[in-house]
Amino acid sequence: MEDNFLPGSQETLATSPTPSIDAPVEPAFAPRTDLAQLTARTEAVRQQIGQVIVGQQDLLELLLTALLADGHVLLEGVPGVAKTLTAKLLARTLDVPFSRIQFTPDLMPADVLGTSVFRPAQGDFEFRPGPIFASVVLIDEINRAPAKTQSALFEVMEERTVTQDGTAHRMDSPFVVLATQNPVEQEGTYRLPEAQLDRFLFKLNVGYPTLAEEIQILQGHHSGFGGTPLEKVQAVLTAQDLAALRQQVGQQRVEANVLEYIAKIVGQTRAHKALYLGASPRASIALLNGAKALAALRGRDFVTPEDVQFLAAPVLRHRIMLTPEREMEGGTADDVVKQIVQSVEVPR
Amino acid sequence: MRHLPLLLLLTLAASPVLAAPPQVPLVLRRLAQAPADTTMAPALPPAAAPAVVRRPAAAHLRELRGQREFDYREVVADEPAQASLWQRLLGWLLRSLAPLLDTKGGRIAWKGLFYGLMAAGLVFAVLKFLQVDITRAFGRTSRRVPLAYEAGQENIHELDFPAAIAEAEATGNHRLALRLGYLQLLKQFTDRDFIAWQPDKTNQAYLHELAASYPSARPAFAELTRQFEYSWYGELAVSPDLYQRVRADQRRLGQQLGAAAPGRPQPA
Repeated sequence: MEDNFLPGSQETLATSPTPSIDAPVEPAFAPRTDLAQLTARTEAVRQQIGQVIVGQQDLLELLLTALLADGHVLLEGVPGVAKTLTAKLLARTLDVPFSRIQFTPDLMPADVLGTSVFRPAQGDFEFRPGPIFASVVLIDEINRAPAKTQSALFEVMEERTVTQDGTAHRMDSPFVVLATQNPVEQEGTYRLPEAQLDRFLFKLNVGYPTLAEEIQILQGHHSGFGGTPLEKVQAVLTAQDLAALRQQVGQQRVEANVLEYIAKIVGQTRAHKALYLGASPRASIALLNGAKALAALRGRDFVTPEDVQFLAAPVLRHRIMLTPEREMEGGTADDVVKQIVQSVEVPR
Repeated sequence: MRHLPLLLLLTLAASPVLAAPPQVPLVLRRLAQAPADTTMAPALPPAAAPAVVRRPAAAHLRELRGQREFDYREVVADEPAQASLWQRLLGWLLRSLAPLLDTKGGRIAWKGLFYGLMAAGLVFAVLKFLQVDITRAFGRTSRRVPLAYEAGQENIHELDFPAAIAEAEATGNHRLALRLGYLQLLKQFTDRDFIAWQPDKTNQAYLHELAASYPSARPAFAELTRQFEYSWYGELAVSPDLYQRVRADQRRLGQQLGAAAPGRPQPA
C-alpha cells in the first residue's frame, strides 16, 4: 500500500539535516457554524478592557469564557493586582444593570437578598429587593463575611432565584456574580463554604504583572492615564447580544471521546490519594460548558482536549480539598490538578 | 605470722602486771578449750606448727556439683523431632557456617559484609531520597517520565498503520483513515526525535515542540493538525475527494520527514 512511507522503508530518501518543508499544505475544512459575530463581539469587549488593564490576557479570556458559559467567577489575589477593577471593567462593557456589594464581617443575609417590609397603609408586607437583584453583581472581598451571610448566596447563585417568605423571586438574565477575595491567609478573612465554592464556574488566580507590564502601568499613570479609567470604557454588549452568543455556545459539538476525557479527569479527583474531597458532577458540567465557550471564543465550533486541559485548573482548583498531610507538605490544588491531567490519556 | 601483731598487742596490754603470775586472756582460753572444727576459723596455731590445709566438705561439694548454675558445659539441644523444614534448614545452615565464622578470617569477612550492607543501604536511601537515576551513569538512555496512564486502546508504536489505513479506506471510513494518517505522522516525528510522544500531550504541545526542533515543518503540520481536529473532534464528514487531498499532504510530509536527520525534541 502506498501509505508505507515510514523512515527506513523503500521510500526513505537520503538523510539530510532537517530539509525545508517547501510545499504548503492546502487549507481544508471550515467551521459549520458562523462564529464571526461571536468573535467580533468578544473582541470588542477585550479591546475596551484592554484600554485600562495591561496584560492579563489569559485572565480576560477566562472571564469572557465564563460570561459565555453563564458562570460565576471568583477572582483571588493579593491586594493591589486589579481584581476589583477588572471585574468593574467587565461589568461596564455590558449594557446591563450592575450592583456592587462590599462584604464585611457584620453583613447580614437580608442586606444582600432584600427583606420584607410591613406597609401599615395596606396592612401587608412588601418585598424590597437587595443589591443581589442585578445582572452583574460584583461582590468585593467575599471572604470578609462569615458563613451565615455566604449561605444566603447558595440559592441565588445556583437556581437564579431568591425565596423570601415563601415567594420565589426570579433573577433576570444574564445573572453573573463576579466575586473577589484575598487569599485566606490574610487577616480578617473566612474560608468560603465548599458548597458555595462549587457554585463558581472558575476560580481565577490574579497574579502580579511582568516587569514590562508593570513599567507600562507606571507609564500610563505617570502620563495621567490612571485618573478615571472607568470613563474610557463603553458598553458594547447588550443582554440580548449575550443571550444570542450563549445560544451559539450551547450548540458547540463535543465528540464522545472528549466527553469521556472530561469525565475521567474529574473522576480521578475522587480517587487521588492527595485529595480529601474530589470534584462533584457539577464540576464535570462546568468543565464541559467552559470548554464549549472557550472553543467558540477561539473560533471553533467543536471542543478539543486542549480546551479541557486549559480549563482544568480554573474549574477544579476550588472544588477539591487536599489532605492535611499534603497541605503540610506545601502542596497546592493546582499541582494535584496538573498531576491528574498528566495521568489521563488525551483522546486522539 | 599473720597473728603476730595481735600477740604483740596482747603482750603490751598485759605489761603493767608483768610481776604477777601470767594470766591468759579469757578469749584465748576459750579458744584453746574449743573442740577442733574444720569449718570454723581455727585457733591460732603455734608459730612452729605445720600449716593445716583445709578441705571443703565432700557433701557440700556434691551438693554444689548437682546445681545447674555450676555446670559450665554447653549442652546442644537436639532438634525437636517435629521441627519444620525451614527450622531444619536454618539449623543446618548455622551449623555449616559456624566453623567458617569461628576463624579469624571468617570473623573479619562477616564484619566486612555487615558494614558493607549497612553502607549500601545508606547510599541507596540517599539516592532514593534525591531521586537520582544512577543507571544513566552506565550509558543507559534516559527513561521517559513514568506516569500512571490509563492504558488506551491503541499504541502508536505497535499499530500497523498501512494495514489499518487500508482497512479504513476499504470500508469508506475516510474520517478514521485521516485520523490514522495523522497518528502515523506523530509516530514518525517521534521516531525521528522531533517530538517526545507522551499520551497526555495535546496536538498543540507537539506543535510547540516541532517549532523548536524542526521549524520549517511546523506550518505544514499545523494545517494537518487543524484538518485532523476538524474531522475527528469536529466530526466533519470527509468526502473521498477531500480525503485524497488531505491524505496526499500527510504522505508528502511523511516522506520529507523520512529524509531528515534525527532531531532533538525540545520541551513544549
